[in-house]
Formats: sequence, C-alpha cells, structure tokens
Amino acid sequence: MFDVLKKKLEALGAAGWELTETEKRGWEFYFIRHQLDQNRVVETRTYSVKIYRSIEDGKYLGSASDVISPTMNDEEIDRRIASVWEQAALIRNPMYKLVSEPINIPDKNNPVDLEKISRDFIETFAGVAETSGEDINSYEIFVSSLSRRFLNSNGVAYSCVYPSSTIDLVVNARREGHEIELFRFITCGTCDREKLRKDVEDALRFGKDRLVAKNTPKLQSGAVVFSTADACEIYDYFLYQMNASLKIRKISSYEIGQPICDKFEGDILSVKAVSSLPNSSRDYPVDGEGSVIEDRYLIRDGIPENFYGTRQFAQYLGLEKSSNVQNAVFSGGKGDAASVRSGDYLEVVDFSDFQVDPMSGDIAGEIRLGYLCRGGKITPVTGGSISGSLPAAVSTMRFSKESVQYDTLMIPAVTRLENLRITGIAELED
Amino acid sequence: MKAPFSAYLESIEPALRSLVEILGKQYEYVSILSTDSVGFQLTLSQHSKSVTNQNRTTERGSVVRVYRGGRYSEFAFNEFDREKVAEKAAEISAELEKQFSLLELCACETYDTPVLDDEPIELFCEKEAEILPETADTAKLIDELMSVSDLGVKTIPGALDCQAGGSSTHISKLFLSRNRTMRQSYVYTEGMYAAFAPSKNGEMKMVYEGVSGLCGPEILFTIKDKIREAPKIMEDVQGSGKIVPGEYDVITAPDVTGLIAHEAFGHGVEMDMFVKGRALGADYIGQRVGSELVTMHEGALCAESVTGYAFDDEGTLAGDVTEIDHGILRTGICDALAAKRLGVRPTGNGKRENYAHKAYTRMTNTIFDSGSDSLDDMIASIKFGYLLAGSESGMEDPKHWGIQCIIGRGYEIKDGKLTGNVVSPIVMTGYVPDLLGNISMTSGDRCVFGTGACGKGHKEWVKVADGGPYLKTKARLG
Repeated sequence: MFDVLKKKLEALGAAGWELTETEKRGWEFYFIRHQLDQNRVVETRTYSVKIYRSIEDGKYLGSASDVISPTMNDEEIDRRIASVWEQAALIRNPMYKLVSEPINIPDKNNPVDLEKISRDFIETFAGVAETSGEDINSYEIFVSSLSRRFLNSNGVAYSCVYPSSTIDLVVNARREGHEIELFRFITCGTCDREKLRKDVEDALRFGKDRLVAKNTPKLQSGAVVFSTADACEIYDYFLYQMNASLKIRKISSYEIGQPICDKFEGDILSVKAVSSLPNSSRDYPVDGEGSVIEDRYLIRDGIPENFYGTRQFAQYLGLEKSSNVQNAVFSGGKGDAASVRSGDYLEVVDFSDFQVDPMSGDIAGEIRLGYLCRGGKITPVTGGSISGSLPAAVSTMRFSKESVQYDTLMIPAVTRLENLRITGIAELED
Repeated sequence: MKAPFSAYLESIEPALRSLVEILGKQYEYVSILSTDSVGFQLTLSQHSKSVTNQNRTTERGSVVRVYRGGRYSEFAFNEFDREKVAEKAAEISAELEKQFSLLELCACETYDTPVLDDEPIELFCEKEAEILPETADTAKLIDELMSVSDLGVKTIPGALDCQAGGSSTHISKLFLSRNRTMRQSYVYTEGMYAAFAPSKNGEMKMVYEGVSGLCGPEILFTIKDKIREAPKIMEDVQGSGKIVPGEYDVITAPDVTGLIAHEAFGHGVEMDMFVKGRALGADYIGQRVGSELVTMHEGALCAESVTGYAFDDEGTLAGDVTEIDHGILRTGICDALAAKRLGVRPTGNGKRENYAHKAYTRMTNTIFDSGSDSLDDMIASIKFGYLLAGSESGMEDPKHWGIQCIIGRGYEIKDGKLTGNVVSPIVMTGYVPDLLGNISMTSGDRCVFGTGACGKGHKEWVKVADGGPYLKTKARLG
C-alpha cells in the first residue's frame, strides 16, 4: 500500500507531499482488584497523506490531508486523493518549504517485545505490598509497539519502531468504614519496575494520609509547592510560550533575548529540548515532518533563545532549522528540595484536575490531598482549591536542583509558586 | 435527506457474519462492531488555515468481542480481506491465546462474569441530515469560517487572533452477533470560535463559544450569530477582577448547569464505577441527593444532539434514563458488561473512543429538567452573589462527590441587581449533594450543549452533550 500511495502522490505533480505509515500493535489488560476484567489486542495500520499545492506562482502554499485505510480499494483511494488535491487549492498559507535535508541517522527498527513488557507490568502490580488499610482498586495496562515510516516529496525518509505504554491506576485507603481513592495516570516507554513500584507505594501512602486529612483552612493566599506529576502542567506552559505557532499568532509574548519576567527574585529557568530521554514514550529522533530533533536550548537562564515548531510556523519566524519538541529538560534551581520547602507553604500532592492554561497561564485545581506546613507543623488537608496566574508568579518561582522525569519531561523535583489564591473550607486556626 | 449507511460496511457484512460463525465454534459469545465514518475538520485563523478529512470521530475498522469461561476478550483491527475470513479468525484466536498464556504464567485470576444476553434485534436506522460532510461545499465553508475570523478580529477589542473551526462526521456503524444485526448512520457537526486578546494589565484572555447538533455542516453558518456577542464578552473578561475566595449564592447559566450535570451525576452514576466500588452513588439509590427541584435525565434519546445515536457500541438500544427524580437518586447508567456484573439491564451507554478502544459506561446527553422561575426573579432574590457563565472544564470525584468546575466569568449580583462587575476565571468546588441540595430556583427554559468531549480519567475521549436551565444554588468559588 505504501508504494501504491507513493506512486499516486508522485503522479499528482504537487508542490509537495508527505506520506506516513503508522502501525500499532497493542496489548491491553484491565484489572479489577487483581482479577482480569478484560484482555485486548489492537492491530491497526493507517496511511496519512498530506498534499501541498503552490498557489499564485508560489506566493501561497495550500495543503490538505487525509488518512487512508488499508481496506480502501483503488477507486476509493483515487477519490480520496482527488478530494485532498482539490481542498489543498482552497487553503492559502504564506509559502514555506518542506524538509529537504537528508536524514543522516540510521533508522530505528528494534522490535518491541509486547509480551515481556506486559509481563513486567503485571508482575509489578501483583508484587505491590498491600494491607487491609491500603490496596489497589483497579488498573489498566496498555503496551504498544508503534512503527512509523515517513517519506516526503523531497526524498526525505525515515522509519522507526518504539514502545509506548500507559498505566491507569486507582488505589484505595480505608479506616473505620471510611474509604478514599487516588488516581494515577502514567505514560512511559516500557516498564521500569522500580519506578512503577515507587509510584504505586507513594500513591498508597498518600491515600493513607488523605484518610486523616482535615479540611483545608481558609488561607486566602500563600505559597504552594508541587512535587508530583501535576507540576508538568507548570512547565508545559513555558514550552507552549516558545512554540512558533503561538508566537506567530501573537499569543506568546516571549521575545528572543528578552527575559521571561522583569526581575528574577527566585530561581532562573532554563528549558532545553532534547532528542531523547530514557524510557520516554516518544523516544524517536525525527519529528512528523521529517525534521531531525536536535538538542537545543529554548530558554537559557531565563532568556528565550530558540522558538520551535512545525516547518510552517518556524519558517514564518525566520528559523532555518527547527523541529517539534518531543522531550524536554527544565533546570536552573539553585537550592535543594528541602530549601524550596522552607517556611510556611501548602504542598498539594493530589488534585482533582490541576490545570495551567497554556495561553493565559491561569492556574486552577481542586485539592484532594495537600500537606499544610505552618510553623514547622505539617498537617494533611483536603478540599478547597488553588488558583492564580503563572506569568505573575514566574519572578518569584523557586524550584529544586534535583530533577525527576515524568515520561517526556525532566523537571525539578519540587516547585514552589508564591501568592496563589487558596480557597479553603475550615476556619483558620492560630 | 437520509444519511446513507456505509456501502463499505454493506459489502463486508456477509464476511463479518462468517467471522462471527467461525469464532462462535470456539467461544460462547461473539460480537463485532464495524465502523466506517467519514468527515472533515476545518480550522481558520488570521495566521493559518488548515483542512483535513480526519477528525476525532472519523474511522474505519472493527472490534471483535469474544467470551469463554467467564472471561471477555477483544481484538481490534482495520485490515480485513473478505476472502480470507478463516485466516482472520485464526489470527484472532492465536493472538488472544498468547495473552491467555501470559495470564496463566502470571497466575492471574479472572473476574468471573456471566455471558451477555443476545436477544434478537434487527435495526436499520438512517437519520436525517441536510448536507453530508463528504459532499459539502468545502470552499463555501472555508469562506464562511474565514469571515467569522475576520469579523472577530474586526469587532473584538484588542483581538490578536480569532480562530474559527468546524468538524462534521457522517457516522456508520454495524453491530453483529449471533442474533443481532444492527445498522445505523447519522451526521453530527460542531463548530466554534476562539478569540484572543490581552487585558489592560497584559494577561492573555480567551473567549470561546460553539454550536453543535445532530445535523450536517449547515449549522456552521450559525457561528456568525455567536461571534456577534463576542465583543461584549471579551470586554467583560478584559475588565474583570479576581474573586475573593468564599461561599456565595450563585446562578448558573445553562452551559455551567450542563457542566454540573455532567460532573456531578454524570460521572457519579456511571455503573462500571459501581462494579469497582468507585462511586458513592451505589449506596444512595433511592435516597435524596438534591432538592425537590432537581430532576435529571441521561440518554442518547434525551436530545437530538451530537450523541443522538440509535444503539451504543455494544449493540444495546439507546435509552432515556431518569437518574434523579425530584431530588431522589433513582438509577445510574450502564454498559452491557457492567450491567451483567451488577444484575441490571444495560441502558445503552456502552461507548468507545473508536473501534480500537475498550467500551466503558459513558454519558450521552446529561440534562437537568427545567422549572418555572424567571431569570429576573432569580437575580432579584440574591443579596450578594454571582451569575456564572462560560463553562471551560470540569472534573469529577465519584468516590467522594467532590466537584471541580472551571468557569470563565462571574457577573456580580448585589441587592438583586447585576452590578456590571465581572470576576474571571473562577474555580467552583464543592460537595455534590450540598450543591444540588441548595438548588432553590430553576428557570423555565433550557439549552443543550455538545461542543465538548469527555474523558474517562484522562483518556478515552467521546462526544457528549449536557445542559439544563438557569439554576440558583450556593457554591464555593475561588
């Protein structure tokens, strides 16, 4: 099918085209407690085609895309491609060029052992130490081998096979007839048994603490500390701000060479896009348009250095070389985790759904479990919410020099934002 | 016109039926869901334009469900040669056997479940659509959406960009089992604008509104009516302040009412959560969970919306369930497997993100019934509080009945009148029975919204709709 589509695309005489074959082989296991709810196999193959047309002698570049199913017959494929060809003429984006630089890195086609990875996950969950007070409610295991083969009209070609796994975990804790739950959603390449065991044990410990948590007091405002995967939301905001698409649309106010805040009173952030992180679920060195992903600073010492993005928006910004970002490292913390946790603060380890708006930087989240530290005393708390503005908090933001990896992001282990609004439930005790 | 059922699915139906028969020799229960859904997505802004024939619900593929010895298994695929049915059946069995071997090696027990009912059903349903997405005039639609974007940038104060978009899907689904042959096709469409502008202090603000329906792309021509309201909304947001955290009397606009319905007793009564012991609702059937004014319905038959199907992804006919009747929790919603495990009848709420995903209990239309109060009377009844509008996102906590709603705007009410002061954004949190128990007034009108998507946890995105009237209650805002 790949070669058939290639010939049809070549015959169009288009300004350009891209063809991507994606094969997914997936094994899935769903458990209630430790009993199998259902097992599933997924085997799919799709072909994405994107056609580019030159409009008004190269002033504009039109494009349109479709996904071709392997069960489509020749007539259907011709009809679909003809439709995309016509649609591409309706889209007028200022001219940009497709990737033409040859890829000088070898294809990555190591097979993924679904059975071994699945076994690692199943055995790790089976081996978790549970008690009558804290145990696993349910978990879902998704293990995939993803195979991607790319070719464009300039002859740029690359293929890779990589593993991608997802875990959906719910734990319970109970005492004296009262039961609570905590939810964890984990993505990674393959099963890192030790890391997974620690994640599950942390969740069980948090569950135990939530049972004895008091209502969050009406603090009104204060410092909030983030030390779980929710902190990725904070760091994703900076990635969005460096995306060429948001810059072109004037939604990002970041400028190359201009600090990301007026005055740094906390730690100074650096953001580096990297081609690879250990056990990332997106561990491949070429993006979806055939651009090689190179390690480069996006923000260095608080100063934007490189925007990134798709060919279209990167070229609109005048960037000769760019790619999408798959993995990133955030650094710059001067102190250790203990120093970030100094003084009074609220450390929230479980939210209903923590969000940082990628465009406005507005922060919001309901507290399911936090640890309130006041005068050296630490109290588990629950209920209420935090809110605020990340752009307003950047200048005083502090984060640890120790790092922790959450799939595609390596971020400081502990992050602290000052002066967030804290909506509590209970009256504040002296 | 009728949205025609897929010719492709018609062509492979005999082969799929053979597959059911062959697999039926090894398994006690076999069913197949096959899909062939086509559509488009258009996104236009001042800085970029795109068109694709792929969107969240376009797909072509099949999923086989089999049952043996108390265990359910599935095999999803999209490569199928109708001349090689026996080979496909062998491949499915072989792959599943590999998984069974691993499960035995790991000494995994099975959640023993009875076999699904397979009462005979024959259904053929083609719903009406004015225009089909596959034959729509793309050039005309692009012009229309571009004019929406242009109007937004021209009229919204300080607008940096205004994105207008639309997607439409012509869905065809075929469900086969030993005793069921069910075919349906329908079209749903949704469209939106999102405008961006800075506030006076430089904070980026966004205003968003959408349209949707069980209809063709013709509905995209109504976005222009929405964008005409955008300048006022953006001015409100640009001039907004921050709320002082606390508990307030509030009136929820119908979109926020819908968000509450979805998060409170939508997720809260998904009965696959009952099976796992993850929902407090299981212990409260027959008990009061809201005021007398609270009646809530859920089901694909409740409204002609984006999720108005005739049967679900497990071959169960669509329903209309009264979940809460005058404040009393009556029942939940249920997929077929969870129903079998709980000993109840499925409600037609077994949905998949697409053919390659597992079916879970999922919402369709989740809607509060309307009452008899006027909005003016509701506002007049409040000494100090807020009218909340602009639903953004929410999250449920069925185990503890906590709720989190992110809301775009709060319009201040003082001494029974809107003051013109606005706060933004707002995090509304609370305990669901308190929130519903404090509902003291409900307006006589109601609206249904279908532009959103709903996840189960943080994945499995499906189309849902929700809505209701204006509600007056008390809520914690921050």
